[in-house]
Amino acid sequence: MRAFSNLLIVIFLGLAGNFAHAAHTQAQLILSADIARPGDTIWAGVDLKMESGWHTYWKNPGAAGMATKIQWQLPPGVTAGEIQWPLPEKLPPAEVTTYGYNDEVVLLVPLRLANDLKPGPLDLKADVSWLECKKACIPGKATVETTLNIGDQTKASADAATIEFWQNKVPKSATNLTVYARWYDSTNANPRSLLIQIKPPKSGAVDFFPDASDDFEIQPKTKSTFDEYSNSTIVNKFVKKFSGDWPGEISGVIVTETGNLRTGFEVKLLVSERPPAGETISSQTSRESGTGILPARAGETPALLSQSLWRMLLYAFIGGLILNIMPCVLPVIALKILGFVGEARSEPRRVRKLGLVYALGVLVSFLALAAIVIGIKAAGHKAGWGMQFGSPVFVVCLTTLVTLVALNLFGVFEVSLGGRALNAAGELASKHGVAGAFFNGVLATALATPCTAPFLSVALGFAFAQSAPVIVLMFLAVGTGLATPYVLLSWNPAWLKFLPKPGAWMEKFKIVMGFPMLATAVWLFNLAYGDYGKRVLWLGVFLVLVALAAWIFGEFVQRGRVRRGLASVIVLILLIGGYVYALESRLDWRAPIAVEDTTGPLINSPDGIDWQRWSPEAVAKARSEGHPVLVDFTADWCLTCQVNKKTSIEISPVRSKLKEINAITLLGDYTHFPDAITAELNRYDRAGVPLVLVYPKNADAPTIVLPEILTPGIVLNALDRAAR
Amino acid sequence: MKKLFVLLTGMALAVSAMALDIGKPAPDFTATDINGKTVKLIDYKGKIVVLESYNSDCPFCNNQYRTGAMQALQSDLAAKGVVWLIVNSVNPKHPSYRTPEQAKKEWADKKIIATAWLDDNSGAVGHLYGMKTTPDMFVIDKNGILVYAGAIDNKPDPIHDPKTARNYVREAVDDLLAGKPIEVSQTKPYGCSVKYAD
Repeated sequence: MRAFSNLLIVIFLGLAGNFAHAAHTQAQLILSADIARPGDTIWAGVDLKMESGWHTYWKNPGAAGMATKIQWQLPPGVTAGEIQWPLPEKLPPAEVTTYGYNDEVVLLVPLRLANDLKPGPLDLKADVSWLECKKACIPGKATVETTLNIGDQTKASADAATIEFWQNKVPKSATNLTVYARWYDSTNANPRSLLIQIKPPKSGAVDFFPDASDDFEIQPKTKSTFDEYSNSTIVNKFVKKFSGDWPGEISGVIVTETGNLRTGFEVKLLVSERPPAGETISSQTSRESGTGILPARAGETPALLSQSLWRMLLYAFIGGLILNIMPCVLPVIALKILGFVGEARSEPRRVRKLGLVYALGVLVSFLALAAIVIGIKAAGHKAGWGMQFGSPVFVVCLTTLVTLVALNLFGVFEVSLGGRALNAAGELASKHGVAGAFFNGVLATALATPCTAPFLSVALGFAFAQSAPVIVLMFLAVGTGLATPYVLLSWNPAWLKFLPKPGAWMEKFKIVMGFPMLATAVWLFNLAYGDYGKRVLWLGVFLVLVALAAWIFGEFVQRGRVRRGLASVIVLILLIGGYVYALESRLDWRAPIAVEDTTGPLINSPDGIDWQRWSPEAVAKARSEGHPVLVDFTADWCLTCQVNKKTSIEISPVRSKLKEINAITLLGDYTHFPDAITAELNRYDRAGVPLVLVYPKNADAPTIVLPEILTPGIVLNALDRAAR
Repeated sequence: MKKLFVLLTGMALAVSAMALDIGKPAPDFTATDINGKTVKLIDYKGKIVVLESYNSDCPFCNNQYRTGAMQALQSDLAAKGVVWLIVNSVNPKHPSYRTPEQAKKEWADKKIIATAWLDDNSGAVGHLYGMKTTPDMFVIDKNGILVYAGAIDNKPDPIHDPKTARNYVREAVDDLLAGKPIEVSQTKPYGCSVKYAD
């Protein structure tokens, strides 16, 4: 009877309100007790019954909609607590997902009764407003009320069971779960990927319903996977930031599903900035297969930055050491060996000095690189290792420089500060040595950037997402690694004793070493072809003019006796003329041809692997069709990538394995730094290519990330696992 | 893919622009308005442009028009030379869809003051801008750069008096005209979901 009179009041107030009566939702106030004692806490429930197809919203409505509001009008001595929201449903459509309730929901509110309440009836009243939607949305409002009797004993009401039923649907605190959250993308990404790791793992789909925030939105899209290595469930979410910093803490509800039973667990999570660093390495090196499994790096505990920083600095150092023997840096090694031979018999102090100057050249270059990365990040763009090779202007400058170095090694001209190299030989040679050592350091760094080495890619992937001081530290660590062997050698001249005595052979050795340098120039020239097409001929013409100028300079300016002034003028004319005509006018070097269409089909060799162009959609499509997928992110300028391809990917055992397991092969061309690939690299904590991924046939299995340096065994092993 | 080379200390690095980021060029579109006229965003280069995702059946949207707040804003901004494009992405099967004739009548009834009402029933413009709610507002500066995206104001409910709320679109346009940096450049849009075709 009372319920009926309440209903009448609801309808009356609804009609009398300012707004269209919400015809599709009925509101009612129910209590867990008819009679309660002073000092008790009882439960009130605002029962919203929606017509079929209509829904109302959760405390975080999602992409649209509005949370239901309850405004209490309570007599003195009764205080209402926060609304306890039963677990909502995710409501379609996918592009505008909301969280809400279909059919019915009871929003629960604890009411505290003061100790000094007098016995007798109390009127409890609340203004409830909501948004109800089916195809269209209508705001609804009602005033609901009921009566509670204060007495000397508690008597449950007829609605107590209903309230208990809905209490069981309110998410509980997660006592049996261990949950961690960490960012997956770098801070540049927006929306930024977030991983939530849940232990023990849950069977079935797991979701996270976030609390609402003004400054950011944790988007409704969810992907949950079981990670066999950490034996946990990993939930992947995306966070879009509107203002302020990225949140350091998030809260919401972990939703698990077993059969038809959905359960919610209330969580508040600190979001750590990065995974505990070394996890990536150990997952890549300690496993017999040599493959790393991506989510395994989601760590056990949020690591302290300082710890991971030390570890990362060590990796950067080791990576720098290894860079010395990567193909990009090899030509420079020739120069350095020559330098040591030349200086080995000098006094030890001088040798040490040259070693340190070389190190200084490397470190200064790395500082410059760090400054560029910081600048680019500050400008809101994405930076990547070796990305300067995507700039044609850089490639042209470096080609010219390397050509000159080769000519210098051939003895066409000398590098010295003055023209009188033969006079005052001792003094000038010393300057030559110092400037040369510094220049070697710079050149080693410039040539090292298209290479990445084991350890280095992990360290750089970490570095590129850090703050400016950490980037500087990390780059200096790589530089120190690159320079260390030479500094050590220069401080231990005893180690140099095996080198032959300086003599005429040195001149020949120098010339021999000019050939790898020439090869480097050819490689760079080939890169420029990608930027200028057939116009690259004019770069060749320019290089010939530069070479001619270098010869005249060496022959007539440096070593000549007469008309040196005229020779200098001819050198200048050749250089300026070459620059103006060949580079500016014909090559038009600052205006490379448009980047080739990145959507058309790839040209594959007839008996090679059938590469398709990479895109996230292509991966998703292939996986939805049940194919394992091999993705190779590569770039023309990436030597490591080309080596990997020749030795371990484009080989017949891999080709037949790919055919056997019916795999789709996708190629991501990073030569011109498309954003989509930068984002994908960041997702895997890489700052550059190579990155080779294998997606297993089973869509729930984690992605297999292959190490930087491949062997056929690693690739075949990963493909085998992907086919399972 | 747009490329831009930054030369710094002798090294050049490639960076590229991403679609629909604050501070980046707003994606261009071509649409038809309710009078059958073709409207291109790029044609308004040199003017400030406001995009409004619209569905007057949505109470959040209706609240802005019922109270006259939206028309007042439209009129004030029109006086300052601002272009206002209404984007209606409701699909034709939805009861809130308006035929061009119904739209013209609604325009007159509601005393709308806009440059054009785009019939985006395919949802192309809405999807291009990732419009999620009605209203969802975008402000584009004279150079075609997106400078604001998000809610119309700071009161996400369908019952408030918009004149007492902090209107982010008005603020953004005023900041632009005063040559000041935009104070609030992104907020979470609120309202009903855009009624896209399934």
